Amino acid sequence: MKTRDVFHYSFSAIRLRKLRAGLTILGVVIGIAAIVALLSISQGLQSAITAQLEKGFATDTLLVTAGRGFGMGGAVGGTGSSFRLLVNDAQNISGMENVDTAIAIIQKTGYVKFGEKAVVSTIVGVDFAKYKNIYSSTFVAENGSIPLNPENSSIVVGKQVIDSWKNETLIPNVNDSIEIIWTNATARPLTNVTSTSNIAAALKEIGTFGIGGPSDSGVYIPLSQAQTLFGTDECNMIIVKLKSSDKAVIDSVSTAIKNAFSGEASVTSSTAVLNILSSVFSTIELFLAGIAAISLLVAGIGIMNIMIVSLMERTREIGILKALGMKGRTVLLVFLCESVIIGLVGALIGIVSGWGLANLVAIVLGGGGPVRDNAGFGGMTITPMLTPTVFVGALVFGLGVSVVFALYPAWRASKLKPVEALRYE
Amino acid sequence: MTTIVEAVNLKKTYMLGKVPVNALQGVNLKVEGGDFLAILGPSGSGKSTLLNLVGVLDKPTEGKMLIEGVDVSTLNDNQLTDLRRRIGFVFQFFNLIPRFTARENVELSMSIADISRNERRKRAEDLLETVGLKERMNHKPIELSGGEQQRVAISRALANNPRFLLMDEPTGNIDSKTANEIIGLVKKLNEEKGVTIIMVTHDQRLAQVTKRIVQMSDGVIIKEVVN
Repeated sequence: MKTRDVFHYSFSAIRLRKLRAGLTILGVVIGIAAIVALLSISQGLQSAITAQLEKGFATDTLLVTAGRGFGMGGAVGGTGSSFRLLVNDAQNISGMENVDTAIAIIQKTGYVKFGEKAVVSTIVGVDFAKYKNIYSSTFVAENGSIPLNPENSSIVVGKQVIDSWKNETLIPNVNDSIEIIWTNATARPLTNVTSTSNIAAALKEIGTFGIGGPSDSGVYIPLSQAQTLFGTDECNMIIVKLKSSDKAVIDSVSTAIKNAFSGEASVTSSTAVLNILSSVFSTIELFLAGIAAISLLVAGIGIMNIMIVSLMERTREIGILKALGMKGRTVLLVFLCESVIIGLVGALIGIVSGWGLANLVAIVLGGGGPVRDNAGFGGMTITPMLTPTVFVGALVFGLGVSVVFALYPAWRASKLKPVEALRYE
Repeated sequence: MTTIVEAVNLKKTYMLGKVPVNALQGVNLKVEGGDFLAILGPSGSGKSTLLNLVGVLDKPTEGKMLIEGVDVSTLNDNQLTDLRRRIGFVFQFFNLIPRFTARENVELSMSIADISRNERRKRAEDLLETVGLKERMNHKPIELSGGEQQRVAISRALANNPRFLLMDEPTGNIDSKTANEIIGLVKKLNEEKGVTIIMVTHDQRLAQVTKRIVQMSDGVIIKEVVN
C-alpha cells in the first residue's frame, strides 16, 4: 500500500471519531504547551539576566572584596574579620602581572536632595577615567559629559536619579546642583555629612543587574571627594581589569591577589558568576522540562488507551483488511500513522499555544512579550525565547511519545489472525 | 483445464473453549479453472472452515492445501497476503468498511494491491457499473440495501482480477427477491466472464445454477453431484 493511501486510510479513521481524537490531541497539546511555555520563559529569563550581567560586569574583570566568602559586590564582603580593604591596595594590585588597571570603589548608601525632595541613592566614589575605561559600554553619558579630571564638586548620576518613573522624582538636570547627604552612623551623635555638587553628566539607562559596574540608581563622585566626605580610606571593593579574559589569566591573578592579602580578601570573577548562573538555569530548565514531560507521559498513556480501544472496535475491520490482502506490516503502519497524525497535530497546536502562554505570562509579569516597556519584572524585560532547539525538540518529543505508545496496540493489530478477526463481534 | 484448487486429505481441528472440534476430517477436493462449485451442508458440517482454508485465511491442521499447485503451508505470512490479493472473498455479512462509499470500498482492495489512483478509480466505476450500481457508487453502505451492499462486496472481490471467487452464503442475509438478482449476477460472472467460483450456501435455488454441488456432513464430503 502506498504511503499516501496509508495516510488517507488512517486519516479517515480519525475523522470518524472526532471527539475521541480531539481529546487525545488535547492531551498532547497540554503536555507540549507546558514544555514550550516553561522552556521559552526560562530561556528568555536566562538570556535577559545574562545580558544584564554581561553589560554590568565585563568578563575580563575581577572583583576583590574583604572577607573569605563568595563576595558579590560590597554587600556580602567584610564579615567578622578585622581586615579592611584600603584605597591604596588598588595600586598594589595594579602592579601585578596581567593586570591592566585596578580601581578602588567606596560605596555608601545616602540621599540626594534636589529642592524639597530627596531619594535614597548609592553614593559611589570612583576614579571616573579608569571606571570609564573598564565599563566603557555602560559608564556612558547620555546628557553632559563625564569629566576625566573632575573637580571635587562634579558628579555623575544614573538615569534613575534624574529620570525616575516613581513618584518621588527628583527632576534635576545636567548642570543643576544637588545635595548629597550621608549619615555617619558611627559618629555620636549621628551626624549628617552634606556636600553640594554639580551634575556633570547623566548616564544612559543600564538596567539593574550591574555587579560592581555602574547602576541606574548610582551617584558617582570622585574618589578623593568620597574619601573626604565619608572620612575613610577603606574601600568596599577593588575592580581589577585584566589584560585578557582567558581562564588561565583569571585563575592566576585571582590566586595572586588572594595570596597578597593572605586569604583575607575574596576574588570573584564575572565568568565564574556567569558559569554558576548558567548551570543553575540549566538545572531549573531540566527540572521544569521534567515536570512538563510527566504531563506528556500521561498524554502518551492516553494515546495507548485510545489505540487499544480502537483496536478492539476495529478487530473485524482489520480482519477484512487482512482478507483483502493487507500485510501485517501495513496494518502496523496504519495504526502508527493514526497516532503520528494525532501527535503531529497535538505537537504543532501545543507549540503555538505554549508560545502564546509564555508571552501571556511575560506580559503578566510585566513588560515582556511583543509589547515592550520599561516597567518590567524588577526593571527587567523578559522576552520568551522559542529557540529552534525547543521547537524541534517539542515536535520530536510529541511525535516520539505518540509513536512509542502506539507501538504495542499497532503491533497487536498487525498480529491478528484474519479468521479470528473476522469472527469477532 | 488447469487445477486451481486442490485439497488433499484436509483436516482441521480447532479449540472451542477447551473442547477440540474436528471441523474437517479428511477432505479431498479439486477445482478446475472456470468451475462453479456449491458446497452444501448443515450448520457445523465444516463448509465455512473449508472455505477459510481455500481462501488461505487459515491453515490446515493436517493434509495439504494446494493453490495453483503451490502448497500453502510452505508460504510465509507475506507470501500468504500476496496470495490473498489474488483470491476474491465475498462474505455473508458483506463486511464493507462503513465509513467508505461503495466506490471507495471497491478501491480499497486495489489500493492494498498498490494500484495507482487513476486506474483504481476507473476500474471501481467499471465494476460497479457491471453489477448495476453506477448510480449509487457514492453512497455509504448504510445508505444501501442488503442486495446493493452484496453487489458492492462482489465488485470489491473482483477488483484485483482474482484467480477465483469464494462466497460464504452470499444470499444468506438478504431477502429472496434480491437474492434472485445476486444469483443472476453470480451465474453471469461464471458464464460470461469465466470466473471460477466456490460458494458455500444453504440456498437450494442458488445451488441449482452451479455446475457442481458438493454435499458435506460432519467434516467430510458425502456426495458430489454434477448439474
